[in-house]
Amino acid sequence: MTVTETPLIEAHDLAVRYQNGALALHHVSFEIKSPSFMAIIGPNGSGKSTLVKTALGLIKPSRGTIKVMGYDSQKKSGKIRKQVRYVPQRDSIDHTVPVKVKDIVLMGRLLKKLPPRFATSKDIAAAKDALQQVDMEELWERPFPELSGGQRQRVLVARALAGEGSILVLDEPMAGTDIESQNLIVAALGRYHEENDVSIIMITHDLNPIHTLVEDVLLLKNTVIGLGEPCSIMDPKLIKKVYGPTARIVEHSGHRYCMTRDSGIDRHD
Amino acid sequence: MIDIIQIIIESPFLQRALLAAILIAIIAAASGTFLVFRGLSFMASGVAHAALGGTALGIFLQDSGLVPWFDPIMGALLFSILVAAFTGYAGESGITQKMEVAVGVSFALSMSFAVFLMYYIPPYKIPQIWGYLIGDILLLNDLDIFMLGSTTLLLAVITLMFNKEFVYVSIDMEGSTAQGMNARAYHYLMLIVSALAIALATKAVGAILVYAIMVAPAAASNELVKSVRGVIFAVFLIALVAELVGIAASFVVFVSPSAIAGILAALSYILALQIKRVRDRVDADIDDPDISPDDLKVTWKQAVAHEYEDGHDH
Repeated sequence: MTVTETPLIEAHDLAVRYQNGALALHHVSFEIKSPSFMAIIGPNGSGKSTLVKTALGLIKPSRGTIKVMGYDSQKKSGKIRKQVRYVPQRDSIDHTVPVKVKDIVLMGRLLKKLPPRFATSKDIAAAKDALQQVDMEELWERPFPELSGGQRQRVLVARALAGEGSILVLDEPMAGTDIESQNLIVAALGRYHEENDVSIIMITHDLNPIHTLVEDVLLLKNTVIGLGEPCSIMDPKLIKKVYGPTARIVEHSGHRYCMTRDSGIDRHD
Repeated sequence: MIDIIQIIIESPFLQRALLAAILIAIIAAASGTFLVFRGLSFMASGVAHAALGGTALGIFLQDSGLVPWFDPIMGALLFSILVAAFTGYAGESGITQKMEVAVGVSFALSMSFAVFLMYYIPPYKIPQIWGYLIGDILLLNDLDIFMLGSTTLLLAVITLMFNKEFVYVSIDMEGSTAQGMNARAYHYLMLIVSALAIALATKAVGAILVYAIMVAPAAASNELVKSVRGVIFAVFLIALVAELVGIAASFVVFVSPSAIAGILAALSYILALQIKRVRDRVDADIDDPDISPDDLKVTWKQAVAHEYEDGHDH
């Protein structure tokens, strides 16, 4: 893999407010090299989603700047969005519209085209291949709303895998999924990152399933608490600072894992 | 059969009514479908009533001599666009509840505005305002058909061109924006074109029929049909059949065609809910034997949650 000069993300004294005016992030400055498989962790309401949405230009920072691949999130959001494949939090996906699984996966490719956004045979092949990665290829024609929560998440991950653009951004892709779906998602993402020159940015409550794949971890609690390799972030002092005194670190086959009782889904409208 | 064709050929008002029935069914299929997808069925009624406020403004401006060229229909269209823009603004983040509130507020605002202006409009003109709400599909003139036809054409072309975008905005507005689509533009386009079509349809056939035809068939189809194209087609069929039966009934017995069509459309939704419930029950009974008790529990929970949502929404 080639390491380019331009960093994947570069934040400078960033401060962002929630819509209700509360401060979501403050004094956030960091830099992540490209390409990377990066995880953003932190408890509910620590500003993880807000950071990502700000980076994609969906939220305006109240102070400072954040750049993705050298492009400013406010001035050049179009350039950023061309490179991004995004899986939002599961709550923000509507599942009453009667679309098929294939429509959702093809969406990842068709969003980057201009209307009328026809799917070519190449698009269809890429979509089928992506579904295969998460073991869902038989559900190609199935109505998306009929799937279980875990299956829907897998389809959305397939949407990201099928798309084009060098950055995959996934907001809690494993929230509310069972172990089987988690393993499939993690394996698919890890393989994809290894085989392609892409960066993956993943927001997660639980670092453990992706522990061995992740290269950089950003530990957030409204500001940057820690940044580094997974094992250096799994420092009892840091983790207790963020997750409270009940958090514990266990060592298993040479890696440190974090045990917290925090596993909810957070959401800010 | 030949008798019926004979009657249609001999009565231009019936021809216009049939043509309007087809046009309204197209509007329901194109616009009602996506409003229901977005959980915005209330907007059909909000726009229809906002148009009333606009009509009152038009009559007032014309009658008082302030702006003599301002036709009431221009007021109706202006107000319906304002409602759509306001609703769109409230829902830019893609949250349905906020849009519903915006529709409710503009509904109240434009009705209050209409009543406010009624004090300054000569009494003999008041029925013209209320007439907007009632309408009659058998009393259309050529201009009504022309305006309704051109808006339907505009709506149909835009829906054909941008149906993927409208679906994307309905499913995942944030994700569409983040991946480079101008979701906001399609969000407004969909709401404004729908509002124009609803306002003109209201002028032609009355608010009651528009509301029933715009919402109930789409809600019914969305319960049962499992593809976007299928829903659009089913809405067209249900709407058209309801209207045609309404018109036919008005020839046999003394009855308002709009009322019959509205009742039929509403019944289609109740019927769809029942069919869905029976179908779900059958599915649960004959599911594959290797299903584990845990799975059943989850299915049951989902079914209960769903019922709760249904009762809550409608």
